[in-house]
Amino acid sequence: MNIKKLFKMHYLLAVILLIATVSISEAAKGDKEAGKKVYEKKCAWCHGWAGAGDGAAADFLNPRPRDFTSGIYKYKTSNIDNPFPYEEDIYKMIANGMTGTSMPFWKDVLSDKDIWNLVAYVKSLAGLEGEPAAKVNYGKQVSSSAESIKKGKELFIDRCSECHGDEGKGDAMKKLKDDWVGNRIWPRNLTKPWLFRAGSDPKDIYTRISTGISGTPMPSFDDPASKKKLTEEEKWHVVNYVTSIKNEARRLKDGDTVVKAKRLTGELPKDVNDEKWKDVESTAYPLVGQIIAKERFFTPSVEDITVKAVYNDKDIAFLLEWDDRTNSIPGDAKAQELADGEFYEDAVSIQLPVTIPEEMEKPYFGMGDGSHPVNVWHWKSGTAKDPQSVNVMDATGFKNIKKRDKVNITAKGSYNKGTWKVMMTRPLKTDNKDDMQFEEGRFTPIAFATWDGTNGEKGSKHTITTWYWILLKPPTGSKVVFIPLLVAGIVLGAELLIARSVKKK
Amino acid sequence: MKMSKLSLFVLLTIGAYLVLKIVVPIIGRFLHPGTWPLIPTSLLKMYMLFIIVTILLYLTSKEEDAKALIAPIKATLTDPSKRMLRNIIFAVIPLLAAYITYSNVAPSYDAPVELRSIHPAPPSSVNAYNKSYNLLTLKNPLRDDAANYAKYVKEGGEVYFKNCFYCHGDKLDGKGHFYQGFNPQPLPFMGTDTIAQLSESFVFWRVATGGPGLPKEGAPWLSAMPIWEHFISEEEIWKVSMFIYDYSGNKPRTF
Ligand code: HEC
Ligand code: HEC
Ligand code: HEC
Repeated sequence: MNIKKLFKMHYLLAVILLIATVSISEAAKGDKEAGKKVYEKKCAWCHGWAGAGDGAAADFLNPRPRDFTSGIYKYKTSNIDNPFPYEEDIYKMIANGMTGTSMPFWKDVLSDKDIWNLVAYVKSLAGLEGEPAAKVNYGKQVSSSAESIKKGKELFIDRCSECHGDEGKGDAMKKLKDDWVGNRIWPRNLTKPWLFRAGSDPKDIYTRISTGISGTPMPSFDDPASKKKLTEEEKWHVVNYVTSIKNEARRLKDGDTVVKAKRLTGELPKDVNDEKWKDVESTAYPLVGQIIAKERFFTPSVEDITVKAVYNDKDIAFLLEWDDRTNSIPGDAKAQELADGEFYEDAVSIQLPVTIPEEMEKPYFGMGDGSHPVNVWHWKSGTAKDPQSVNVMDATGFKNIKKRDKVNITAKGSYNKGTWKVMMTRPLKTDNKDDMQFEEGRFTPIAFATWDGTNGEKGSKHTITTWYWILLKPPTGSKVVFIPLLVAGIVLGAELLIARSVKKK
Repeated sequence: MKMSKLSLFVLLTIGAYLVLKIVVPIIGRFLHPGTWPLIPTSLLKMYMLFIIVTILLYLTSKEEDAKALIAPIKATLTDPSKRMLRNIIFAVIPLLAAYITYSNVAPSYDAPVELRSIHPAPPSSVNAYNKSYNLLTLKNPLRDDAANYAKYVKEGGEVYFKNCFYCHGDKLDGKGHFYQGFNPQPLPFMGTDTIAQLSESFVFWRVATGGPGLPKEGAPWLSAMPIWEHFISEEEIWKVSMFIYDYSGNKPRTF
């Protein structure tokens, strides 16, 4: 071996050593023993004392907390050849949390150092060491344009719609399970990017398409062996399409607590798709599991409901819309394929107090109470044999619910591509003393509930809202002009009087 | 230069308004990051009325002060050289009055304000688990068993993470994954505003009887806090109480 060659070998060795030390020092950003202490105080309750995702809370959650012993992470920026995430990726998930799940963001209570220590600890639970070798390749970002969105849509229909639905609402045609314990998992509703778990910037979405979501059926579209592989440019088109289908109407607005019923002069809308609904303002409300009375329900699949209302001199009509991934039709073979065993009808209800409260005191928001009864209008989606139905119930508490024989409301629903729309109509005034009588200009409490039958929701297992308000806003009469003018006149008169009396002195 | 009494009055009023409108929300934001707690308009009006009356009382406490306050007004009304100003003021005030009346009679979608007392006075005794408890003397029996403190806290944590965190939060910050769905929102246990102010018997009462156990001033019909005697045992309540105090670093009030 000549000197030159030997020198080259040394050179090589030195480089290797250098890389090794750099990666060791990189891997040593955190101290796993210190991480363990924080973990046991903050994380073990969900992720389990040994990190197996089996903490006290686990059985009440969907998605379940991550099993760190599996070493599988859903969110990473390393490319397809590298199954494990960068430490930076894990750091971000801990610091920022995962919106729409129970995994909170920790950056407000944990220091940078604590979080790096946690990263080191959770990695050690699966014996992960070192960092991945390469990141996802982002190529050249294609900026959004009508043309790019159109291309993206075609690709989306071909590659993504089998899970995410034709319009991206996650109305799957398949039953999906995760890889850990085979938990039911629902494809994301892509029209609500504010609920994405790992960010909704174009770059985040690009990363998800490139890496897939490990542990779930969501595949990587970088796999050279797959016919579905997308090029870098194609991925950006899909990203542009996905960011274009955001549905702002479903987004909750802080402080938007009033359903604004609009007065119409003519006929009310005929059905859910009537043009008349178009320019009626809608309000969105969060739905949460009924976790207050027995039997409680912890894992809802529906996140929110939007409400519109219109009225004329005779009737009032509500339009309730919510995204539900499945049209649950018991007895229907296709619906059965999407369900786990027995399943039930979908349903929605409106709750109103029987008497509009004069003061603050209202009925208990969960189905009223002994001295404050409520009306519940309950629509059900029907089975393969029975058509849709609607009932009125009189309730004075969770345990005291009476179904009426005669129903004075009409309701009709229609399911389309992941969204239920249900319209309910009732006369403003009825001659039943157990009915609430609507009054113009009075703030009236109102609450909502939904059932997703395929998600096992039935009876007390469903989603609820707290009390909100509905207001039938009367048309602005002449009073609104007349009174201020009168006041202005009086004030001017008073001014003149004062001026005169002052001058006299 | 000494400020005229009238300008002082105007300045103080504007100052008070700005404090209520801006400084209070800033403090609120500081206490509860991520929020911008506004004072509801109807309350704001009430506060402003009190403040104006107070300022007037203060400025007119002596006779000559009262005269000094009125002097510029009088001058404006009588002084021939101020005719132009007078006419403008005479036109503006009625318009202002008309506008204020309009905004009051015009139908609005501002929801009624609901005031409730967050920590209403507890009853002296409560019924739960088919027993009656005297809240004045009630103590957490598990605290006497100091040797097992850590064990009880851990068991309390399990109770918490099976039952409470959906609302009160994984971080005990009142922001569990369902918190948005409730009004009033679940209370945080971190910080010194809630359980740090309470004795453990108060916590027992609130947990055992939940929202519906509140007196009227607590608006029991709104609170989503479940009635826990239906779900967990008496001992579990004491354990979860120990957990929330331990985790948040707070101590129950003992006086
Ligand atoms: C209230 C329960 C809860 C607590 C407490 C909690 N987590 Fe999680 N965590 C979850 C859930 C649920 C998921 C899974 C979400 C999913 O699968 O989409 C998760 C996921 C994760 C992930 C995985 C991200 C990925 O890409 O797969 C990490 C890392 C993580 N948690 C770390 C932590 C750490 C560190 C703590 C403590 C500081 C903690 N968690 C506390 C519930 C919790
Ligand atoms: C085989 C089914 C399947 C296909 C095909 C699929 N996805 Fe998904 N996708 C899922 C599932 C399931 C989830 C939810 C994973 C979870 O809950 O952790 C998901 C989640 C997502 C998310 C949410 C990420 C986040 O941060 O929350 C995005 C964005 C996404 N998919 C985009 C796409 C796009 C774009 C395509 C087509 C290029 C696609 N998916 C194809 C099943 C699929
Ligand atoms: C469905 C949501 C929900 C759940 C679950 C829940 N709470 Fe609450 N809790 C609330 C709400 C909302 C309030 C504030 C309104 C009130 O005071 O009733 C509250 C108030 C409290 C208070 C009063 C604090 C104070 O400063 O006055 C205590 C103590 C409390 N909860 C403890 C618990 C414990 C312990 C659990 C579990 C066993 C639990 N909560 C479960 C919603 C919930």
